[in-house]
Amino acid sequence: MTATDQLVDRLAQAAPLNALRTPIAEVREALAAQAATASAGGALAGMPVVVKDNICTLEFTTSCGSRILEGYRSPFEATAIARLKAAGALIAGKTNCDEFAMGSSTEHSAYGRSLHPLDPERVPGGSSGGSAALVGAGVVPAALGSETGGSVRQPAAFCGVVGIKPTYGRVSRYGLVAFGSSLDQIGVFGRTVSDAGRVLAVISGRDPYDATCEDRDPLPLPAAPENLQGFVIGIPKEYFPPDLDPGVRRACDRTIKLLRDLGAAVRDVSLPHTPHAIPTYYIIAPAEASSNLARYDGVRYGPRPAGAVDVRALYRATRGQGFGAEVRRRVLIGTYVLSAGYYDAYYRRAQRMRSLIAQDFRNVFDRGVDLLFTPSTPTPPFKAGEKLGDPVAMYLADIFTVTANLAGLPALTLPIGRVNGLPVGGQLLAPAFLEDEMLEAAFTLERVVAPEAEA
Amino acid sequence: MSISREEVERIAHLAELQVDEAALAGLVDQLSRILDYVAQIATVAAAESAPPFLPGPAAARFRSDEVRPAPLAFGPERMAPAFRDGFFLVPRLGAFGPGDTEAEEDDA
Repeated sequence: MTATDQLVDRLAQAAPLNALRTPIAEVREALAAQAATASAGGALAGMPVVVKDNICTLEFTTSCGSRILEGYRSPFEATAIARLKAAGALIAGKTNCDEFAMGSSTEHSAYGRSLHPLDPERVPGGSSGGSAALVGAGVVPAALGSETGGSVRQPAAFCGVVGIKPTYGRVSRYGLVAFGSSLDQIGVFGRTVSDAGRVLAVISGRDPYDATCEDRDPLPLPAAPENLQGFVIGIPKEYFPPDLDPGVRRACDRTIKLLRDLGAAVRDVSLPHTPHAIPTYYIIAPAEASSNLARYDGVRYGPRPAGAVDVRALYRATRGQGFGAEVRRRVLIGTYVLSAGYYDAYYRRAQRMRSLIAQDFRNVFDRGVDLLFTPSTPTPPFKAGEKLGDPVAMYLADIFTVTANLAGLPALTLPIGRVNGLPVGGQLLAPAFLEDEMLEAAFTLERVVAPEAEA
Repeated sequence: MSISREEVERIAHLAELQVDEAALAGLVDQLSRILDYVAQIATVAAAESAPPFLPGPAAARFRSDEVRPAPLAFGPERMAPAFRDGFFLVPRLGAFGPGDTEAEEDDA
């Protein structure tokens, strides 16, 4: 049996997770075609990578978990995909996600929810839940996802894998279907820090097709230091509220002790505007989404309902039938906060609040703190259906991740323990473009942490 | 309730989004809940004077103004629901409904 056959077998066995959107026969065919042309000497030679269904590929459809893009085939591929292929990686199919990456559980996919690999009653997190579930189930060593408010780190924490959200501008967004353009970044899942870091190194760097991608060389992958002597790690008190899940708190306390044992100086810090991050995000992200999603109108691509009497009726029917409940809510909220009479009270104010949140981080990093350590999520994976009735309850699942997106900073989650058998993630945050320091600390911590030990 | 049924209908109209009568009541409740929640940022005085956040590179990068071929694997005819002779086909324009502000302005 070849490595490709084994991979296809593993993907087929994982079918009950509903994590993969691409039919197995299509994956097999695409892998055979790629194997024939793949670069054998590349940095990722032979590594299978699955890709969230909002990143454009030539091999597979890109439906963004939405009916409005059902069967859509992109005429170009994302820069990140082209770079993975050039490095010898094999693109092994597209993964399920919340519709247009809007959600924290993958329950908002038009193609059904994905299952948590350890407990089918629970969610794998979201919105990149399919990618997280396949890495968590050991099907692939790495996957691409995307982040707007935590959509890589939150599902990575839930599925017990490593997830990295790079600095805004580190990775080209060319070919990532836009949701909130000032927040969106392609992110990486890995079984280990090394797998995730290697993929990130390959996809990072300047790109003439994305003006918001910084003019920088690809990220060099650092070596793991012996210990963390010389590192100052801040613990922001706002990330340890009284209602934090006690198991998550125990896992974090144990990890903070490990950071100290490794020689890091651990210091209590404060990021005072943190409580306003979720409300700020749920003004800015829907505002940008309502604008970005205006392009789905049934004219140039995607399915079109029959019988519209005029073009306006065509727009309304295409969008009314094509968008699911959460996307509809966000398009309406976004339209509202940008509309005359509400713009200043909501959108402009949120833009200013976003500056204060970014300034909180600068204040801490300017005072000699190298990295921050926090829980990645407020709870272990929750049950399917638990938060579907209340959109705000679902939004709060991203309370510890959304700040890095608002401030444009890099952040990483790695598994730090289990609570009742379910994975818990710990998060490292770094100043902009200091992914290398964040990875050094993650490599070192990964060597001593016990990800499967009950906290 | 921070948003009325009429306001939801108005923004759905602005967003070119058909909303079924049956879904409207639920949407009014959900959007009100979300707007009541996000309105808490109004209580932070410092947010009145802070400069707005600007994402991305400090300076815009420009490229030379040259016509270059679009790097597409295939053309729009393969993607479009209706396409002929280099054009996307749509139903007729016009027929703006009552209460449509743009149509009213045009009439004035």
